[in-house]
Amino acid sequence: MAGEKVLVVGSGPAGLSATKELLNMGVDVVLVEKESYLGGTPKKLKYSLLFPELRPASEVIDPLIKTVEGKVKTYMESIVEGVKEEGNGFTVSIKDKSGKIQTEKVNAIIAASGFEHFDSRRKYEYGYGIIPNIYQISDVEKMLSENKLVTTKGTPPKRVAILLCVGSRDATVGNTYCSRVCCAVSIKQAMEIKERIPDAVVHIYYMDIRTYGLMEDKLYWKSQLEYRVGFIRGRISEFMRGPNDTVIIKGEDTMNLNRALVVPYDMVILANGMELGLGSKQVAKALGLEFEEHGFVRPLDPDRLPVQSTRKGIFLAGAITGPKTISDSITEGYAAAMKAYEYVTKGVWEESDFAKRKVEVAHH
Amino acid sequence: MSQSKLLSLPDDPRFLDMAYFEQGALPEEVRNLDSLKPEERETAIKFWQAVKSDFRFNEYLRGCLNCGVCTSGCPAAKFYDYGPREMIQYMMRDAVDKIWEFTNKKVWACVQCFTCSMRCPFNNEIAGLIMLLREYAVQFALPSAKEILAPYRRVLYTVMTLGNQVTPDMIQPEAFPDWGPQAVEESKNMDVYRKAIPVDLMQRTDVGWQPSLQTAVEMMTIMIESGVMDSIKKVDPDLYDMVMDIYEDRKAQLEEIKEKWQKGELNEDELPDSWLDL
Repeated sequence: MAGEKVLVVGSGPAGLSATKELLNMGVDVVLVEKESYLGGTPKKLKYSLLFPELRPASEVIDPLIKTVEGKVKTYMESIVEGVKEEGNGFTVSIKDKSGKIQTEKVNAIIAASGFEHFDSRRKYEYGYGIIPNIYQISDVEKMLSENKLVTTKGTPPKRVAILLCVGSRDATVGNTYCSRVCCAVSIKQAMEIKERIPDAVVHIYYMDIRTYGLMEDKLYWKSQLEYRVGFIRGRISEFMRGPNDTVIIKGEDTMNLNRALVVPYDMVILANGMELGLGSKQVAKALGLEFEEHGFVRPLDPDRLPVQSTRKGIFLAGAITGPKTISDSITEGYAAAMKAYEYVTKGVWEESDFAKRKVEVAHH
Repeated sequence: MSQSKLLSLPDDPRFLDMAYFEQGALPEEVRNLDSLKPEERETAIKFWQAVKSDFRFNEYLRGCLNCGVCTSGCPAAKFYDYGPREMIQYMMRDAVDKIWEFTNKKVWACVQCFTCSMRCPFNNEIAGLIMLLREYAVQFALPSAKEILAPYRRVLYTVMTLGNQVTPDMIQPEAFPDWGPQAVEESKNMDVYRKAIPVDLMQRTDVGWQPSLQTAVEMMTIMIESGVMDSIKKVDPDLYDMVMDIYEDRKAQLEEIKEKWQKGELNEDELPDSWLDL
């Protein structure tokens, strides 16, 4: 078994962990990354702490980068332009920033190009980008990690509102799924804000709190027990610019019937969800992958074969198949690496007719 | 099966619980329909059945996440003890008594701005559901609907006989003291703006209240055929009589003119430009 080569698209948590495992198993890896650095979205948006352990993101991402950096052939600032099936592998053309195209012959491909945050400007009634002091959780991560959590007036906010489910669970923008991580991230951010500004009032506006599994007491309970974060049940309908650069929210406290809320805050954070994004859409198109009904990439069998794509020889890892946490993405990277190893050394490719099956819905 | 051997089951399944059997239901747990007056109960059930069996109902009502976006964006909720979420919840729970209560009062607070429908994350057609309740309130000639609609008699009369109630040029600053300086400034040049926009109807706003005789008769025929007049008959029989009288008059006039024209007795310049000229 010499000369097997696997192409990994994307160097986020999933891509890096897949690359690391393939290297350990003695398979050559070619890594393609769109940005000029490794680490993916956590590095791009400068993530602060990770839930639920509340440890710096660099503690998780940096070791992955270290084990990979310099050990594999890496195309930085490049994208996959197209693939051609050739023999039992693929010929991949890779285009760099200047438009120069290079080709690579590989035996298998792992697509791990991840997600993009929902752009809150698409929810125009929230006024993100128009009204000052409205941020997204993806902006606040950077503010927290750089210790620059201030309003436009240059002072730390005394009253903060966090609105969940922006761009998820919302048919008006076409995203009817739950993005899974925003509840946990928002509560984590609320605790980080209280840690920095102990006398701040932090309110989280929610429909349901989905700190599933082991995160329940580590985040949801802890934020109330130790930080006195307020949870108000109701989705905010619109924001207005208030005096002194405050933001006035309009919501309903749904625990009390018809109780309208019009409250000013110094800072409002929108918990924007996850979408496949243009980068991954381009990757899926170039690799000839299929999309499922939420717009993510369809795995061959979501339960049994979650890391195999609908095209033979191409594997999937991370948030390209749906919203995922960093630890889930790393796990999927390992799984995809193992499946790719089996495929390139022994030609193992399990089949499933799930994607082709017509779903018959029983109407009662 | 003899009655003596088999214990008959109570209508309310909660009474299978011994505690309920002993104590009876608490006042706030009294079965929904018990809160309605006996004479209203039948109408309330019939009303709700009619609304539910409307072909639009299942399309408009999809589900509810209880997020409150509808109520928080609602301009009417600001001023009244009213909220669209309340109605959706009653509908989801099949709460006949609450729907009845809602229809008799709160449903008329809605201004039909459709903000709730636009922002609902579950894509419910909330304002449409309110319209449905109102439509059936009129259909059923509910006393509350009659009472609420009484002041609108003049409006209905104008709409039924002339086809519209307001023409765009009637929207003048004097009638809207709450307009800001910019709106007042813009309103001065409205006729120029209308000329710039190529919509035919907007070019002659001054004749909005002067439909031709034929148009008026056609419009009123549509109102009668589509059942609008039947609804009005139920809530306001006097208005119905008034409008129908006018309809008969105009129809006779039109037929007379037509007859004359066919016989060749009428000159073209004798034809009325508007029924007001007659």
